[in-house]
Amino acid sequence: MTQATARSRSAIAAHPVISTAIAILVAADIFFSLYTPLYARLTPKLGDFPFFYWYLLIFMPITSLALWLAMTLQKRLGTPDNTSEDAR
Amino acid sequence: MSNVNITTFTIVVILFVIVTGVGFAAARWRRAENMMHLDEWGLGGRGFGTFITWFLLGGDLYTAYTFIAVPALVFGSGSIGFFAVAYTIMVFPVVFIFLPRLWSVCRAHGYVTPADFIRGRYGSRGLALASAFTGILALMPYIALQLVGIQAVLTVMGVGTSSDNTFVKDLPLFVAFLVLAIFTYVSGLRAPALIAFVKDTLIYLFVIVAVFYIPTRLGGWGHIFGVAQAHYASVNPLTNKPFGTFIPTSGSVGSTRFDFASLALGSAVALFLYPHAITGTLAAKRRSVVKRNMIYLPMYSVLLALIALFGYMAIADPTTAANIKKAGNAQLAVPYLFQHMFPSWFTGIAFAGIIIGALVPAAIMSIAAANLFTRNVFTEFFKPDASPALQTRMSQWVSLVVKLGALLFAVELPHTFSINLQLLGGIWILQLGPMLIGGLFTRWFHRWALLTGWLAGMVFGTLAAYNVATPTASHWAGSSDIEFGHTVYIGLSAVLINLVIAVVLTLILRAAKVPEGADETLPHQYTADPDGVPAPTPAGVGAGGV
Repeated sequence: MTQATARSRSAIAAHPVISTAIAILVAADIFFSLYTPLYARLTPKLGDFPFFYWYLLIFMPITSLALWLAMTLQKRLGTPDNTSEDAR
Repeated sequence: MSNVNITTFTIVVILFVIVTGVGFAAARWRRAENMMHLDEWGLGGRGFGTFITWFLLGGDLYTAYTFIAVPALVFGSGSIGFFAVAYTIMVFPVVFIFLPRLWSVCRAHGYVTPADFIRGRYGSRGLALASAFTGILALMPYIALQLVGIQAVLTVMGVGTSSDNTFVKDLPLFVAFLVLAIFTYVSGLRAPALIAFVKDTLIYLFVIVAVFYIPTRLGGWGHIFGVAQAHYASVNPLTNKPFGTFIPTSGSVGSTRFDFASLALGSAVALFLYPHAITGTLAAKRRSVVKRNMIYLPMYSVLLALIALFGYMAIADPTTAANIKKAGNAQLAVPYLFQHMFPSWFTGIAFAGIIIGALVPAAIMSIAAANLFTRNVFTEFFKPDASPALQTRMSQWVSLVVKLGALLFAVELPHTFSINLQLLGGIWILQLGPMLIGGLFTRWFHRWALLTGWLAGMVFGTLAAYNVATPTASHWAGSSDIEFGHTVYIGLSAVLINLVIAVVLTLILRAAKVPEGADETLPHQYTADPDGVPAPTPAGVGAGGV
């Protein structure tokens, strides 16, 4: 991270809570899909789906949501991304 | 061709003709004034918005590997095949960290390939050549795998004669391939971007129908999971071991939780090191487009998870399971399942979806490989003064050569071999991690340390994969082996070796004050979001329109 720009470094310093929240959101997303002992089991079932299978399916919309939150928070940091209002 | 279903065949042909038309029409889509520029032919004008990029990346990343190889692995080994599901979840938070930086620096400097960035960052032609070489090497079997996927569908359709003559036997494949080669030559990246719309419509359609319809024919999900669980617990007489696992095990050797996690993590980091994934990314118009796609792309992962479950459906359907066993080829699991479950007209739609789903990534991969060769080998070492027009012409021709090479791969080599090569490709491409991802965040690594680490990772990974044996195959039998008593993905152990060597040698080389090379990038360029830097703007369609 030595190359982080002065601008974004000051953004992190100015918004420590938001920066931490972004880091946690992204890290948690990776952790909860990477740490297999959490979900490599049969129960509790959801309908006919064993836990292992429905956990992975449900995790996908959660990933989307978490990254959306992270991106929304990043805009408040004042990185150049906040200038982009091109919807498509 | 006696057992060809005419309805299925006709629908596949009609959809293929439509796609061919779209491929050629794409040359006129969002047309720029000067098409003879790599930004145009190779990156579609660098002007795609969120919506088009979503289709392009989705079409690019979810390939015949998704539709054919993942369900085949699930069919053959059970839950370990679902690593692909965990991997397509993990990949988006992982690339969320580094991909926007890559987009920004490439836009600021007009880089077309990942090797362009390596060249600019480390001031090292050798390191750039190593990364270009790795990229092309890893892409060839990946393209071949797309053709193997098409072949699997054609085999189940009954197309292709029993003739011993390779050319006659694979004639339909040659035709599909020739069409692909020509429209890629003419339209460049615009062709797969436009065809991706057709592809995704077909695939979403058949997957959603299959997921709701097939379980009703097979006694519901409870029955499907029940049969699968019993099957993987039963003992395979060939190996005296269970057929597979229904849930990753807690042991240290075999289809373990650890192996599952290492495969998922390794593949997630590897995905956006592949040149074709980077090509799709660099075609985006804005930095925010890249980020937004990390939010929307997991929708495709839901599709992948459902497709993986087709492997269990194939187990639960006795006719399909018997067909696959008779053919001795798990790659045919999904085509056989659809053929047996669906009316022939819908089978036609599904088969066309898989064929087109293989053509789109094959086109993007060949463009990415061609750009690498043109920019980082031809222009760099042979013709430094090559004009943009010459570079484009060169890339067009190289894309043809690359596809021809992949075709020879697919037709001449045994299919198990091309799939193993694709596994190797994943191990190889991961070795670019330290120089590419590392380089996006720090200039601390020394270029020669990175080069040595890369070489060590490549050699270790290749040898380790060569030595993987099973009772049915003596070499190249998989992509995991046992390190320190634990089954682990070879790509991950190789890149760790790579990283350790890079760190140690960097310390030594920096202490010895060996020249580091010039860095032409500036810190703020990694977060920049330049608007409209690429000169040629598309005429006609307005900003972001479809």
